[in-house]
Amino acid sequence: MAPASHPHPPAEPPASKGAATPESAFIAPGHTFGSITDKISAIVLTRRTPVGWLLGFAIAFGLVMLFLMAVTWLLLKGTGIWGVNIPVGWGFAIINFVWWIGIGHAGTLISAILLLLHQHWRTSINRFAEAMTLFAVACAGLFPILHTGRPWLAYWLLPYPNSMGLWPQFRSPLIWDVFAVTTYATVSALFWFVGLVPDLATLRDRARSRVGRTIYGVLALGWRGSARHWARYESAYLLLAGLATPLVLSVHTVVSFDFAISVLPGWHTTIFPPYFVAGAIYSGFAMVLTLAIPIRAAYGLQDFITQRHLDNMAKVMLATGLIVAYGYAMEAFIAWYSGSFYERFMYWNRVTGPYWPVFWALIATNIVIPQLLWLKKVRLNVPVLFGIALVINTGMWLERFVIVVTSLHRDFLPSSWGMYYPTMWDWFTYVGTIGLFVAMLFLFIRFLPMISIFEMRTLLPESKVKDSAHA
Amino acid sequence: MNALDSVPELAGLRRVALWAAVSGVLATLAGALFDPTQFFRSYLMAWVYWGGVALGCLGLLMVYHLTGGGWGVAIRRLLEAAAGTLPAAAVLFVPLLFGLGALYAWTDRAAVLADHVLSQKAAYLNVPFFIARTALYFVVWLALAHFLDRWSRRQDETAEAWPGERMKRLSGGGLVVYGLAMTFAAFDWIMSLEPHWFSTIFGMIFIADSALGALAFVLVISYLLARGGAFGRVLAPPILNDLGNLLLAFVMVYAYVSFSQLLIIWSANLPEEITWYLHRVEGGWQLLANALAIFYFAVPFMVLLSRGNKRQPRRLALIAGGVLAARLLSVFFLIGPAFYRRGLGAHWLDVAALVGLGGVWVALFVWRLSSRPLLAQGDPELAPALARKH
Repeated sequence: MAPASHPHPPAEPPASKGAATPESAFIAPGHTFGSITDKISAIVLTRRTPVGWLLGFAIAFGLVMLFLMAVTWLLLKGTGIWGVNIPVGWGFAIINFVWWIGIGHAGTLISAILLLLHQHWRTSINRFAEAMTLFAVACAGLFPILHTGRPWLAYWLLPYPNSMGLWPQFRSPLIWDVFAVTTYATVSALFWFVGLVPDLATLRDRARSRVGRTIYGVLALGWRGSARHWARYESAYLLLAGLATPLVLSVHTVVSFDFAISVLPGWHTTIFPPYFVAGAIYSGFAMVLTLAIPIRAAYGLQDFITQRHLDNMAKVMLATGLIVAYGYAMEAFIAWYSGSFYERFMYWNRVTGPYWPVFWALIATNIVIPQLLWLKKVRLNVPVLFGIALVINTGMWLERFVIVVTSLHRDFLPSSWGMYYPTMWDWFTYVGTIGLFVAMLFLFIRFLPMISIFEMRTLLPESKVKDSAHA
Repeated sequence: MNALDSVPELAGLRRVALWAAVSGVLATLAGALFDPTQFFRSYLMAWVYWGGVALGCLGLLMVYHLTGGGWGVAIRRLLEAAAGTLPAAAVLFVPLLFGLGALYAWTDRAAVLADHVLSQKAAYLNVPFFIARTALYFVVWLALAHFLDRWSRRQDETAEAWPGERMKRLSGGGLVVYGLAMTFAAFDWIMSLEPHWFSTIFGMIFIADSALGALAFVLVISYLLARGGAFGRVLAPPILNDLGNLLLAFVMVYAYVSFSQLLIIWSANLPEEITWYLHRVEGGWQLLANALAIFYFAVPFMVLLSRGNKRQPRRLALIAGGVLAARLLSVFFLIGPAFYRRGLGAHWLDVAALVGLGGVWVALFVWRLSSRPLLAQGDPELAPALARKH
């Protein structure tokens, strides 16, 4: 496998094979090396910034301002402005942390695991899925840090020599989280940047403005596309993929330990690690679809992100969604089977207690409605698929709400029960991070190639011919 | 072409299996006369070991039909043959139904009534419901195996695409009911041996264990068959590499789910949950636990990282054989401590039942395997797998 080791792509258009139809292909017929490069780099370099981009960015930026306002008020007044209190000490902050970090997992899965599994369809979606991972992890990381109440002391979470006699409790999964999430952010950023280097060089060579040439040139790290560069690039990229693969499992496993290591009914259950990982991938793919469908429509990228991509992603959602459903079923059954009064009460309280609408909304959005994905007709209907992706995004958020709130608000002693209601500051912070996420994504789309140019070239028949000639 | 004539190794395997069956069954029957209780316990372990391989093969077969891939076309016939033994395996399960009293504490009505927790579970853990559920699991598995087998035979006869399409469609929904049946079978047959104890991940542990055993078994057999011929050509290094990676993935999944359970239960240290591990880290059982961690995870994990080991048929078969042997430890770890409460121990009947049932099962497997060509001619994945240059 030597993708795109062609410094001089042939100029003439390829003979269209005709057999490939947009519904079964991963790239529309009739493309050449040149046309792919033109089409993707033009979004960044030559096309006018669309009005829709400006409008969308303005709205997202407004939400970022809302976020900054909410955080400022939080820093002035303290976490008392949020709805958290005893017994529900983990409110929106932890719900949103888990929700965001889960979303990131699809990016890593697409870019690392599907690469190692030779799933070439990942090519057109991996770049922005990775970007999505980075931005989602950034949003996720804000919550626990803000939740500490004194975010300027967040570095106390790290084990470093100090005169305060302060040392992290290494048996606490909250400390494992610090390591898991920082590792995840680091490796994801590296992986994303390394994957960008050849394309940054393309942009450097094609940029018409001096500023653009300079910035892309610096970021391209002197890439010239020589055979030696490609060989080193290939091994570095594979190595990073290998490093990123366990992170798909480890990060959300550690997040699940945050709950499962406790003794609280509803949190302490052994199915949590695999079921959290499946849920993370489920929500991540839902978010990829939520982003990919409007983007491909807005920028006319249906040639690259084809029906078949959407179909495959829908199938992954269906499979991981079923594992999540299996997790719910095990929780419900074992809560009864355990014969433990508190386990049984916990589940009964979820189903019929004060938060029952949230629970049933969760079942509808996360389990019932996604079953429509069994039908091929639904998977190929883009607007419906977009709707289901939004529903799953909601469902996975509700899942974390049910886990965090219903388990905490009524645990053992009725005298220490209580209710949790989010305040407007909870909502502002949450909606604000959505704005932050979208704003970063808009900047990414505008200034970097959102689809990997050089990897797309390897999908063309020409590159296949070269491949088998070398093999 | 009959595979038994063309592959002398298969005939040899059958000879060994039949000898094992005769001697093992005779010894087991003799033991059963003297110590029926021990017979049922040993027989349960033997069935979980060999039946788990057959069930795991059914699951892998459905995964292959759903996803396709060169790894699957190479071992497809072996998976089908193992899944084809399930009717016989169901019959071989029947003796256990006569020994429920010897196996499961919850069958003792007086003890259940005296125990608050057990009386809470009596609606689930009772003999008639247990038998009905077990029958239901087998109905699910046998139905899946039956239709996959029928359409697979049709695929051999016709060039049309519909049998493949049907197998694919059945496998999608089939895996859902298969997973549920496996899970509750694990709860009923194994978890309820220690009826107070519960763990939501236990079904996944059993599924991962069965899949790992199945893949290891299939890899060992495919090495025996791969000496030359078209079958050997399909099992070329890239395919072996994929299969080795799959084995590595299963080794990791089993370790992942097992370790998750251990860590969560150990950390919370709740009296109703910790008993299961106390039975497994005391009285010498910790030796078995350590051996399990070493031979069922650490060693196969390390050696399967190497590309060279995966691409060499002989080495991969050796590793798979090691995993298959180590699965004895895992099945014994899951079941044994429920019976040998006074410390690490085993009975000679454990070995006899394992050999006897294994002989019978492998002989059945060889019979099913030799009834059809070793390669699925109608499988659309076969031509690319044969044409691949290395």
